Amino acid sequence: MKPAKVPYAVVTGTVVISLLVAGATEWLDSGIGAGWRSFCDVLRFTAYCVGAVGVIWLGWYWLRLARAIASTASQMQQHIASGICPGQRPTGLQDPTAHRTAGHNTPAFQVKLTEAIELTEAIVGYVDSYSEATEQLLEQIEQLQIQTRLSNKQRRNTEAIIYSLPDAVIVFDEFDRLLIANEAAGKLFNFDHEGSQHQSIDEIFGAENTGTGKRKFADFLRQSRKAKTQATRREIELSSEFASQQEDGTPARAAVNPRTYDCIVSCVHDDSQHVCGIAAALHDVTREKEISQMKNDFVSHVSHELKTPLASITAYAEMLCDGEAADEETRRKFYSVIQTQAERLNRLIEDILNISRIESGLIKVDKTPLSLMILIEEQLQMIRSYAEQKNVEISGQKPIVYDQVYADKDMLSQVIINLLSNAVKYTRAGGSVKITTEVDEDARLARVSITDTGVGIPADQIEHVFDKFYRVGANKKLAQGTGLGLNLVKQIVERIHNGRVFVTSQVDVGSTFGFELPLATEQKVEAA
Amino acid sequence: MSGKKVLVVDDEVHIIHVVAIKLRNNGYEVVSADNGAEALDLACQEKPDIIVTDFQMPVMTGIELVERLRDNEATKNVPVIMLTARSFAIPEDQQRRLRISECLSKPFSPRELMGTIEDILHQAQIVIDK
Repeated sequence: MKPAKVPYAVVTGTVVISLLVAGATEWLDSGIGAGWRSFCDVLRFTAYCVGAVGVIWLGWYWLRLARAIASTASQMQQHIASGICPGQRPTGLQDPTAHRTAGHNTPAFQVKLTEAIELTEAIVGYVDSYSEATEQLLEQIEQLQIQTRLSNKQRRNTEAIIYSLPDAVIVFDEFDRLLIANEAAGKLFNFDHEGSQHQSIDEIFGAENTGTGKRKFADFLRQSRKAKTQATRREIELSSEFASQQEDGTPARAAVNPRTYDCIVSCVHDDSQHVCGIAAALHDVTREKEISQMKNDFVSHVSHELKTPLASITAYAEMLCDGEAADEETRRKFYSVIQTQAERLNRLIEDILNISRIESGLIKVDKTPLSLMILIEEQLQMIRSYAEQKNVEISGQKPIVYDQVYADKDMLSQVIINLLSNAVKYTRAGGSVKITTEVDEDARLARVSITDTGVGIPADQIEHVFDKFYRVGANKKLAQGTGLGLNLVKQIVERIHNGRVFVTSQVDVGSTFGFELPLATEQKVEAA
Repeated sequence: MSGKKVLVVDDEVHIIHVVAIKLRNNGYEVVSADNGAEALDLACQEKPDIIVTDFQMPVMTGIELVERLRDNEATKNVPVIMLTARSFAIPEDQQRRLRISECLSKPFSPRELMGTIEDILHQAQIVIDK
C-alpha cells in the first residue's frame, strides 16, 4: 500500500467505526441502567465528533483528488495538442524527464499524477467489470423472458388440446388436488371443470360409493399412483346420476345409463423421477362394444344361415354317393333338394352382399323419375305365373294421373317383387293378393300397399319382421326364405330413398306390407 | 341295433328327411318333430332310444329342449346327439351337465351320424346288460 493511501484508509475506517459505536450506544441506551447511560452519552458524542472530523477530512481528500484528475486531464489535452497521437498512452507519464522539459518537473506532482491515473484506471476497470456483469444479467433476463413466453405458449397449446378433446381428461397434482380437467370430464363426473381447481379427489368424485363407478375410478387413480406406472389401462363402467327418493322419502341419488369407458391413467414424474401428478383420459367405448357385439352376432348368424343349406347339400350328396337312394324317383328328389339348396345359398349370399353394400354406402344408386304404376305393372307380369301356379289371385289397380317418384329403378323393382313374392308365398291356394297405389298430394307422398289374405303374423313377432335373418317361426314351414328379403326392402326404401316401410297383420286373416316414397319434384322430372 | 327308435328334431325339413332315410335304410324306426314342444310330447309318447336334435330352432332351442327332457322322469336318461351350425362349440361343462352324448357340427355327414348313433346305443346296451 502506498503511503498516500494510508491516511485515507485509516480515516475511512475511523469514520465507519465511530458510526458503528454511535449506533451501538443508541441501541444500548434503551436497555441499560442510569449509571451506564451517561457513559454511553459521552461515548456517543465522541463517536459523532470523530465521525464528523473524518467525513470533513475525506471530503477535503476527494476535492484534492478531483483537482488532480482535472489537472491531469488538461495536461493530457496539452500533450495531445502538442503532437501525441490519440489513443497512444502519454509516455511522459512514465518518463519524468519528458515533464521536466514541459516545465512540470517536481516529484510531488509526478506522484499525485501517478496516483490519479491509477485511480482512474481502477474506476474504469470497475465500471467495465460491472457493465460486463450487467450485460450478462440483461442477456440472462432476455433468455428467461423468451423461455417464459415459450413455456406459456406450450401451456396454452396443451390446454387448448385438452379442452378440445371429446374424451374426458383430468389431471391431479402430487397432493391429489385437481390441476386441469376438460369439459367432457366435467360433464362425465358432474362438476364445474373451470371452477374446481385445487379440489381434492374426494370432493370431485364424492367420498361415498353411489354406485356410479366414480369411486372405482378414484381407487384406480390411487392404485396407479402407488404403482408409479406409466399408462395403466382398464375398462370402467360409469353411470350418470339423477336425484331420486328413498323409500322413507329422503332424497337420494340414483345411477342410470351406464356406459363403458376405456381409462388410461399415467403418473407424471419430475426430474428426480418422483410422482408429482397423475393424468387420466377416458374414452367412451360403449358404442364400439355394441358394434363389436353386433358384428359377432351377425357373423354367427350368417354362418348359421349359410351352413344350413350347405348341410343339406353335403348330406344329400353323400347319400347319393353311398347309394342310399333306392330308386330313380328318390335319386331325382335328392338332386332336386341339392339344386334348391344351392339356389338358396346363392340367394342368401346375394342378399347379404346387397345389404352390406347398402349399409357401407358402396352401392351405386342411379335415381331417375319413375312412374310407380308402370313399375308395378312390370313386376306383376313377372309374379303372375308363380301366383297362378299357387292358385292365388293377384290384382293391380287403375292408373293414377301423377305417381312419379325419384328412385333407382332396379332397386325399387326389387322392393316391389320382394313384397309381391312374399305375399304370394304366404297365401294359401284360393287366396288373393292386391297391390294399390295412393298419392297424398298434401304430404307429397306416394304410398304402395300389398294386401294378402295369407297366414298373417302373430302380434308379438310383427315388430321383428324387418330385422335381418328374422323369420316368423310358425310360417317357416310354408315357404323357404333367407330372412333377408324384408330387411333389404327396408334398407332400400329408408336408407336409399328416404321413405318409410310399414306392416299390419292379423293371424289367419292376412297382412298388408307397403312403403311410402316422396313424390318426384317437377324440377327433377324436367331436369331428367 | 336295428329296431331301435330314433327321434329326429330339426326345423329344416330336408335335414329330417335325409337323416330319416339314412336311419330307415339301416333298420331304425324314425319319429320326427320340427320344433321343441312337439319333440317333448313325442319323446314322452314314443319313448325313443336316442334323440338327434338341432341346436338352433325357433321358440325352443335345442339346449332348452334337453333341459326339459332331463327334468322329465320318462326322458331324463335318453341319450342326445346335438347338431349345430353355430360358429362356436357348446361349452363342455354345459354338455356334461345336460349329459349330451355328442355334438356334431353342420354340415354333417349322415354316415358319421349313423356311426355315432350306433356307438352310443352300443355303450348304452352294455350298461343295461351289466
